[in-house]
Amino acid sequence: MPPKTRYQNRIELLQGTLDLLILQTLQWGPQHGYGITQAIRLNSGDVLSVDTGSLYPALHRLERQKLIKSDWRMSENNQRIKQYRLTPAGKKQVLSERSRWEQLSDAIGGILNPARRSEI
Amino acid sequence: MDRDRQLDAEVQSHLEQSVRDHMDRGLSRRDAEAAARREFGNVGLVKEVTREMWGWASLERLWHDLRFGSRMLAKSPAFTLVAVLTLALGIGANAAIFSIVYGVLLRPLPFAGAERLANVYLHFAPQNNPRGNMSLMDYVDWKAQNRAFVSPGIFANGVQELTGEGEPVQVLSTHATANFFSILGVAPMLGRTFADGEDTGSSAQLAVISEDLWRRRFHSDPGVIGKVIMSSGNATTIVGVMPASFAYPRQNTDIWLCIHVAPKRRGPYAWVGIARLKPGVTFEQAQAETNTIGARIAQANPGSYSKLEMPVWKLRDAMVGNVRPALVMIFGAVGFVLLIAMANVANLILSRSTARRREMAVRLGLGATRIRIVRQLLTESVLLGLLGAGAGLLLAYACMSGFRAWNPTQLLPRVASVQLDGTVVAFTIVLSLVSSVLFGLIPALRMVDRDFQVALKEGGRSGTSSASSQRTHGVLAVAEIALSVVLVAGAGLLIRSLIAMQSVDTGVGAAPRSILSMNITATGAKYRDEKAGIAFYQRVLEQVRALPGVEAAGMSDARPPDWHEEDDTFNIQGVAWDERAYPSTVVAHVAPGYFEALRIPLLRGRYIGEQDRRDSPPVVVISQSLARRYFGNEDPLGHHLQQSQPAGNTSPRMEIVGVVGDVKYWGLDSSSQMAYYEPVSQVFTPGIFLFVRSATPAASLAPEIEHTIHGIDPDCTITTIRTLDEAIYESVAQPRFRTLLLGAFAAMALLLAAIGVYGVIAYSVAQRTQEFGIRMALGAARSDVVRLVMSRGFAIGGSGVLIGLAASLLLTRTLQRFLFGVTATDPLTFAAVALGLWSIALLACYLPARRATRVEPTVALRYE
Repeated sequence: MPPKTRYQNRIELLQGTLDLLILQTLQWGPQHGYGITQAIRLNSGDVLSVDTGSLYPALHRLERQKLIKSDWRMSENNQRIKQYRLTPAGKKQVLSERSRWEQLSDAIGGILNPARRSEI
Repeated sequence: MDRDRQLDAEVQSHLEQSVRDHMDRGLSRRDAEAAARREFGNVGLVKEVTREMWGWASLERLWHDLRFGSRMLAKSPAFTLVAVLTLALGIGANAAIFSIVYGVLLRPLPFAGAERLANVYLHFAPQNNPRGNMSLMDYVDWKAQNRAFVSPGIFANGVQELTGEGEPVQVLSTHATANFFSILGVAPMLGRTFADGEDTGSSAQLAVISEDLWRRRFHSDPGVIGKVIMSSGNATTIVGVMPASFAYPRQNTDIWLCIHVAPKRRGPYAWVGIARLKPGVTFEQAQAETNTIGARIAQANPGSYSKLEMPVWKLRDAMVGNVRPALVMIFGAVGFVLLIAMANVANLILSRSTARRREMAVRLGLGATRIRIVRQLLTESVLLGLLGAGAGLLLAYACMSGFRAWNPTQLLPRVASVQLDGTVVAFTIVLSLVSSVLFGLIPALRMVDRDFQVALKEGGRSGTSSASSQRTHGVLAVAEIALSVVLVAGAGLLIRSLIAMQSVDTGVGAAPRSILSMNITATGAKYRDEKAGIAFYQRVLEQVRALPGVEAAGMSDARPPDWHEEDDTFNIQGVAWDERAYPSTVVAHVAPGYFEALRIPLLRGRYIGEQDRRDSPPVVVISQSLARRYFGNEDPLGHHLQQSQPAGNTSPRMEIVGVVGDVKYWGLDSSSQMAYYEPVSQVFTPGIFLFVRSATPAASLAPEIEHTIHGIDPDCTITTIRTLDEAIYESVAQPRFRTLLLGAFAAMALLLAAIGVYGVIAYSVAQRTQEFGIRMALGAARSDVVRLVMSRGFAIGGSGVLIGLAASLLLTRTLQRFLFGVTATDPLTFAAVALGLWSIALLACYLPARRATRVEPTVALRYE
């Protein structure tokens, strides 16, 4: 039955990580909410599953921040679906977010694996 | 398409794509749908958290809540009506009283820089009045040494008779120095006010008149400026008209006259100082300065003063200080009424919440947060509160219309500034918001407090409310009773005081209803010779006595129970003078027949009679209290009494020729009844009361007597025509006003509390119908069921009364200053209130208890 506690990510994503994943996914073209969850799941080899309770707030927030915009179109089976696309600001954001993520990931990698660091 | 519908569509398309994917993988439609829903999670919650991202979400949600709340209220109109009416009563009473409190006590005075204005008094021994008046000589000394104030002024209130063209009328007047208007910083609407120096010369008398008098007597003629009128026999030039908004020092002052400050002696003591602080000077500094000046005046005039201070009062305190305690008390009482109304509404909501518990449990189950539900419930309370405020304002408006029509300028200062304006509306709305959160929070918290699963199960079976919810009901009912005990006890004490006051013996032997009194004047040029005035009084008495229906007639310038024109100290030949030994005492000037008309008993010697003429030896009649205090068992007759203290005294030595019974002249609640009476033929006063005793209803004689007097002097003004019982009634107008208000609020409190207790018990009986059915099916007698219900009533009523009594013991002490002839903890009042409230609580329980016994066991068991 429904949780008494408030909603939590099942896999705890770092603050801002979901935003990056969404923006990155949208780089390949416009996508709707369900498509984004599927893409993230597939591209992570079934490791990451994005909860709808995180996804939709994130999408609506990013839209308010004007990093993405949405429009409605008809799907192949004649159904109205809402799809999201990157704005120019969103594209820039992906780049800066990616480089920040890579820095972070390198840093964490360096801590976890000091030997690799000396190889460079 | 609005955002909510868009979000719905977006979620819907998500689900459908997910279903299709699952079906592609080979699941049946049904399994696919279940899987998609499972994957998606809580739809409602996802929507909710997504909406949070919209920024304006909180406002939109408020709108949503408001719409939902109004729908919920519209769905149960009976509940809404009762709750709104209850709140309207509580909030409306508060709005009405607040508009009075604000108008009288808080609204800024209509003078520029009013917070720097002060009244200055004279507090001196032997008079010992902390707000005593000063004489012109004291003013001259003060002004000469003053540094704290910008040019101080003085004024004195009185009456003037306007004669000449039109009916002779008596109007309220103020004599003042020329700077009076400039100190207050007010401008005339027509003409000018007095100019500097006009109070020092010897020019003809100048006057500024009120807008009201200008309209009434001069038909709004702009040519009134420069007109010469006769004011109490003096030719007076009108120089200006004040706007209607100016009402100082009295609310109905019609004419302000410029005085000439040219004192020859210290006295009479009639003047109040008015002054504006110089920039940078504080009230404390000004007070220190005037006291220093006072000490110097006392030192220079040891024959007049043994001690002298000049108290400085902030103007507002001087104007409204005496009504502040009563208004604050009433404001507190009306707050109690609101608390009781709030407890009632909280109980109502709580009762209804049981019915809505399933709704709440389902909403919690679907993922609504507790905060969200509490917010929704509070929105509903706020809606109720605002509706209550709207209805309450209508109620207050009706009250205020009545108040304005009544216009009690005798009771309250600043009546004109009592208005139902933006400030009052703002206060009312804030009050309703605060109180709706308070009365809404209790049931709202209770509703989300318990484990919703238990509620679902419980609610699924029956509507029985939990024990803790019953406890909340009980606590609220106890609080209501306790609060009303305090109000009713307070009202009871005031009522007993009022009764005690009205049954005080005034000392007048005749039935008050049989005595008609009226004030007549003998002023103007024709009475400048006192002999003419005495002759006028004599002729009036002779002709009035001859009228049919008149049994007796007399005159005095003092009227029981609370009117005397003059009080002064005195000294008795042969008894050492000491200011403490001779307190200020009523001095009445009487014409023959006064004592006989009022049947004031003669104890020794004789009354004042026709033999006491202007040229015969001065005589005086003293009251019993005065005789007892200064002569003990000795015979006072033949001793001599002299007005004022001995030093520098030129007033005649009067022989005591009689002792009469005590009469109240200082008010019904006064303790001092010392007085002495001088013949008006020997000490003339230009205004006097005519008293007529009649066997027929005395009031009916008034027109004929007026006619008779005007036949003697058409210019004589006749005012304050009252029978003595009317005068007694009027003298307790202040205490009656506050008693009436507190009594009304106590009655309101009682009614609300009784309804509250009834509601709680009736509700618990309805909830326990099934239980009673089972009990009766198992053999319980009807009386057992009654006892079961009543025991709860006993408990609620008993604890409410006990807590209320304890609170009353603490709170009625604040009523001390309003009480007369009864202590603040009067056991009789308290016992009666306790018994009364307990009985009402029990009665409120008995009605539902009887209903419980009519339950048919079979019906009750089938119930739900």
